[in-house]
Order: sequence, then C-alpha cells, then structure tokens
Amino acid sequence: MMKKTDVIVIGSGFAGLISAITAAKNGKEVLLMSYGAGTLTIGGGIIDVLGYGDNGNPLAAPDAGLDLVDGAHPYKKVGSLAIAEAIAFFKQIAEEQGYPYVGTLNKMQWIPTATGTLKPTCLVPATMDPSSIAEAQDIMVVGFDYLKDFYPQLVAKNLDKILNLPNKISTAIVKLPFSEGRDVTNLDVARWLDNEEGRKEFIKQLKRAVKPGITIILPPVLGTMPDYTVLESLEKELKCSFVEAAGMPPSITGLRLQKMLISYAKKIGVTIIEKAAINRAIIENGKCIAVETKGLDRVRTYSAESYILATGGFYGGGLIAEPGRVVEPIFNLPVEAPDQQEKWSNEVLFSNQKQPFAQIGINVNSSMQPLNKEGEVVLKNVAVAGRNLSGYDYCFEKSGNGVALASAYCAAMSL
Amino acid sequence: MSKHLINPDLCTACTTCVVSCPVTEATRKFRGPKATGPALERMRLSQQDRDTSLEYCSNCKNCDISCPSGVPISTLNMLARAKQHKNTRRSIRDQILSHGEKMAKLSNVFPGAKLANIGMTFSKKLGLLDMVGIEGKAPLPPYASQTFLKQFKTIKQVSYPDKVVFFPGCFINYNDPQVGLDFVEVMQKNGYEVVVDEAFVCCGSPLVVGGFLDEAHDNAVKNCANIKKWIEKGYPVITCCTSCGLMLKQEYQELFHLPGTAENARNIYDVMEFLQNLHDNNSLNTNFGSTASIYLYHAPCHLRAQGFGLPALDILGLVPGLKVENVDAGCCGISGNYGFKADKYAISQKIGERLFKKIKESKVDTVISDCGTCRLQIAHGGNVRTAHPVTVLKAAYAKAGN
Repeated sequence: MMKKTDVIVIGSGFAGLISAITAAKNGKEVLLMSYGAGTLTIGGGIIDVLGYGDNGNPLAAPDAGLDLVDGAHPYKKVGSLAIAEAIAFFKQIAEEQGYPYVGTLNKMQWIPTATGTLKPTCLVPATMDPSSIAEAQDIMVVGFDYLKDFYPQLVAKNLDKILNLPNKISTAIVKLPFSEGRDVTNLDVARWLDNEEGRKEFIKQLKRAVKPGITIILPPVLGTMPDYTVLESLEKELKCSFVEAAGMPPSITGLRLQKMLISYAKKIGVTIIEKAAINRAIIENGKCIAVETKGLDRVRTYSAESYILATGGFYGGGLIAEPGRVVEPIFNLPVEAPDQQEKWSNEVLFSNQKQPFAQIGINVNSSMQPLNKEGEVVLKNVAVAGRNLSGYDYCFEKSGNGVALASAYCAAMSL
Repeated sequence: MSKHLINPDLCTACTTCVVSCPVTEATRKFRGPKATGPALERMRLSQQDRDTSLEYCSNCKNCDISCPSGVPISTLNMLARAKQHKNTRRSIRDQILSHGEKMAKLSNVFPGAKLANIGMTFSKKLGLLDMVGIEGKAPLPPYASQTFLKQFKTIKQVSYPDKVVFFPGCFINYNDPQVGLDFVEVMQKNGYEVVVDEAFVCCGSPLVVGGFLDEAHDNAVKNCANIKKWIEKGYPVITCCTSCGLMLKQEYQELFHLPGTAENARNIYDVMEFLQNLHDNNSLNTNFGSTASIYLYHAPCHLRAQGFGLPALDILGLVPGLKVENVDAGCCGISGNYGFKADKYAISQKIGERLFKKIKESKVDTVISDCGTCRLQIAHGGNVRTAHPVTVLKAAYAKAGN
C-alpha cells in the first residue's frame, strides 16, 4: 500500500489535468493516475463552452445558453458563477505559462475548419484567433504539398460561400523540403516550423505571394510548443495575420494544450504516474479507501482522502457499454441510460436532435458527487468530472472541453 | 497459466502514439508506431512483405506508454521484425550487438577484459567498428576488469533471515559491477541478505530488438524456471536495470507464452520500487548522512513503461540536503543498443538533444538514472558524470557512518 495522499485524480485528459491542477493550487497533495496520453492530442485544443441550443440553432454567445440548459445538464449543476470562475482560472494558467487563450463567455468565436466550414467556440489560442477574418480585405488559404487532410481550394471554396467577401479567397501551396518515408501530417509541418530554418523557408516562399495586411488561414502547424514563437516570427516577417483552422488528428493545438497543462501540473507539485491502469476501487462504508492498478506484473494499491474520476466516456474507456446496460468500471457508479437499448440512439445519425447515447453517464449533485436513482450520494469522497457525466451531448451542442473544465474545477473546489 | 494476447484491433488509429514517438520526430525513415505496429499487422496476416521502416523502431516503449487502448505497439513491431529476419543471414553487427553476453563471456575467458578493451579502442581508431556497422563515436561501454558475480563472491555479507535474489543483467555484471556492489550494500543496510544465481542468463532484451526471438525465448525459458525456484522459496527477485525488469515482468508475457511468467512477475521488483515499498511500510532505513549535492534525474522510458511512477525521486528526496530535480526531457535516444548502430547513431543523438541541452544548461555535474545505457548516452551527449540511484544512496548511508 502506497502512503496516503490528499487527492487521487484518475485520468489525464483535459478534465483530469484541470482537476489535478485545481486541487494542487488549493494546497492538496495530488497523485494523477494516467493510462495512455489522454485524448488531448486528438481534440482541437480549444475550449467549446456552448455553441448551439437544444433546438440546434446557434447561440449568440456561449453564456446566452448557459441558463437555458435543462436540469440534467452538468452546467446546471456547476452553475454559471462557477463556470465563469473556471474559465478565468484556465485563462490565468495559460497566461502564466506564456500561451494565453483568447475569448470570453459573452462572445461566440466562429473558427474555420479544415473543410472550410465555421464552428462556434469560446476560448482559442492566439494562433486560432479568428477576429482578423472578419476585418480582412483579403484572405489567403495556405496549404502544404503532400500534406493530407488540408486542401486549400476546398477550404477557400467553402469559406467563400459562407463569408461572402468582396474579394475572392485566394490559395497558395508551400513546398516542403521533405516528403520521403511516410505521409506528411500536421505534426511534421509543425516540427519543421519549430526550427528557424523551416520558418525562413516558409517566409521565403510566401513573401512573393503575400500582400502585407492580409489574413492567412492555414492548418494547425504553427509549432509544437505551447508558446507563440512561431506565430510571432511569421507575423513579423510577413506582416499579415495567421489563423490556424481546426483539423484532423494528430492535433497540434491539442498537443500544445497538453504540454502546457502537464508542465504546469508538474510545476505546482502534481505527481503523475504513467501507464497506471486503475482496475478497481476498494469501498468501505460508503467511502473509497483505495484504488488498485493492474499491470502485467502485480496489483498496486494507492490511497487518498478523496478521488476524482475523469476517465472519459465510451471512447476513453470511462464508460463501457454492455448488452442492455452501461457500466462505469472502476467504482461501479450508477450510470444513467435509457432502460431499453433500442432507445440509446436515434437512427438518424446527423439528425437535429441530441443522441441519447451521447448523454449517457453519471448523474451528480452540485459538488460533482455521484448520485443513485434516488438522488442520494453514492460515495462521499468521490467526485466526477468530464465526459463521465450524464446529461449533455458535446458533439451536438459543442460543449466538450467547457463541461470538462467547469466540472473538473467544480469537483476539485468541492473537496 | 495466464496467457496474454495482443489484439491490434484495439487500436482506434487515434495517432497519440505518433505524437509521442521520439524516432518519428527524429527521422522520416520511420513510418511511425501506428503504421508499422497495429496498422501493418493486419496486412502481415495476409502477406509477408519486407518492411525496411520496421528496423527503425527502437523499442523505447513511448508508444505503449501513450496508447489509451492498451496496445503494446512496440512489441508488435518486435514480433514482426523477428518474423522478417527468420531464415535470413544476419550481419556481424547485429550478431555482436544482440549477443553482448556471449561477447562478454568470450572476452572474459580469452584474452581477458583488459585486452578486449584495448582491442575495442584500437578497433574504434582503425575504423573496424564502423566497417561492421557499429558507430565508432557511440558510447560503447568498456568491460569491467572483474565481473559483478566474481566480485560478489568476495563480499562478506551479514546474514539476515530476509533475503532477496539479485538479477544483475549483462550490463551490471560485465560493464558496471559497481552498481551491483552498491545495491548489495544498500540492501544490507536495510536488513536484507542478497543472493545471486549464476544460472540466470541475459534477460533477452538485446536479442529481441535484434530479431533473434528464438534465442530470446530460450533465455526466457531458463530465467523463468530459475526465478520460479526462488519465488517459491519466498525470495523476491530484484533488478537494478529497468530494461531487464521490463523484460522479465512484462515483455516475457507479451512475447512468449510460457508457464509461470505472470506468477513470477508478481514478485519481481525494480530496486527503487522495492525501497519505496519499504518506506511506505515504515521499514526503510532512513539514517542517511547529510549532503549538499544537487542532481538531475532522468527517468528511463523502460521504467516509465512499468506503471509505478518514479520511486527514485521519492527515495532520493529523503536524503537530507540532497536536491534532485526531474530533468523531464523525454527519451535519451540510446534505447539499448539502438544508438550504437552506425545507421542509427545520428537519430539517437538527435533524440537526446533536448535532454543534453537541459543538462548542459543546468550546470549539474552528475545526472542520476536507473538505466545503464541511458547513463552511457547521458555521459556521452551531456558531458556529465552519471550514477545509479543506489550508488547515491550507498554514499548517503556511508556518510551517516552507520
């Protein structure tokens, strides 16, 4: 048995990292149990709070919809005051780490995607700040030869339709000095631009094609580090604005967010144990007294005063669908799901309704403590954050990292 | 007997492993863990094709550490590599690098370690190593004048009822016996008597990366039988080499289906985890002398892959006055014998760049690391002294004068 710590956070995705950071900031000794690198490098590295209302219509601002969500929604449990606090808390961390995020709760940001559509979000890194698109006289979409998953002409064509600007959006292709060996991804290009040599070549190729003052939309490739070195040097040399479009994994913006949070967590004393697959919890008298990891060698036991569960949904393995029921495998917490399996989904995948399976999860109270059907707290010293929670469809309403941030902050603050 | 099965279909192609692969970052010649591992595994089921990219995987395990779906990607690569090499003529280079134990035994019998070292120095100068494909600039370890096993026999231990069995592994036995000797002293300070077993053979890690899977299997059979014997007596088995530990506990189960490996694994410990357990049970001797030393600590990838954190940091932190900081700069690049190969040396040094830079900036003169080949690479690229954590602990006990 390991010596007892204050808080054990299970899961190192966005919700887990925010929980661990919040608890450590409050003076707690925190152990973060991680299995796999989380889904941060798959997600977009942006904080969606609320993009669409229940009717599927876009909201004017994220906070315009916060009070309208129904009672089962995690935002209702957290409350708008704590949501605002969580947003401020995150922005403060990003600022301290030298990678500030742009945005507020009372303004929707519409950011371009790799298919040339726009998606609503709340907080973005400065590399994705879309404000220059609205003000731009001229927009150019820049891609890279051999780079899959980003076709400038497709992006330009679709954005032209949506934005309806006086000048047609132009396109350009930057030739990469490498193509051999394997497919080129955003990660390869971002690593190329991490180096001064790569940036010089990029600038050299674009200098002729680019008029000062224009806005350039490009895939998320402006460096792999959580800072603005690449952005600032390109802006300075080419005298124009850059906007990274949301794209396909591996997500560079997600990677930067992950690096920033892990480095901050370590800085404030969070201990991270990698490849620690939590297998089960030991429960006595309505309290968790320890959790166990199971590797290929032996069971290891870790004990804490409180526990935060942030293992994700079906994709992250935090929820497991079995015939006729959904289980949460560590604490065996009650999971809210429609009784009949046929009702877990509506057959029209892209219908204008939330998907029931997306809302399956654990019901909690305002301290993020897990509840049973009768509304009673199941485990006194366990809180739940992120996609483990029931009552929201992040894909439909665009609220993924927002719910993770708010619930993680709230869970750690209630300890 | 529990059987560990690998299911490549657990891979959701999320690309997290690609992001964390240090080789992919350093060279485009490697297609990356997702492609060479689970993705191509499906193709290999239907046809056998030579894949040159597969040779670039260093088996560092960062893909396995990052995978959220539990796919042992690097092991898939090693299995595929072995299949690819089956019935092919192997280069002298691969023979030499994978058979370190055989080479060491030869040099110890005839013409002696000292001569072998002189021979190596000359081979480097004459470019003989480069001729066979071993990088002359690489930090190849010299042989120790006396093996650990030989020196162990001269130690007069205090006998205690609590005993542990030491699995020294080739590097400590032939190249760095001092770590083994320091380990014995640290265990003695904690009321344990150390037992060694001369029947143990190379864990097989260098054989696996060289594609000599059948030989690795034979070694695994021998080691498993011998370890089982000790564990049945109630003696835990301890390693001071993170790659040996990973092989004995995890990779045997992933690669081979041998009876008893899972049961053995429950009782095999890395030394620092063993000491941490003692500390958690309030039975670690913490009578350390005070020191004013400042160290950096490098966590070997093969330790991180074992899933129990970084116990060396906790234990070293108990020494009064000792300051140790996790350098936290990723893989050092050596990955066993990967960085010794002429065509991989540059990649290996490029991977280690971030770490070397941080070490140089820190101005510390000694970096602590649990892995022998990491220490070679760090001394080479970072131009610093290195130490195993047990060596630092031994010194701290000595300072207390108890």
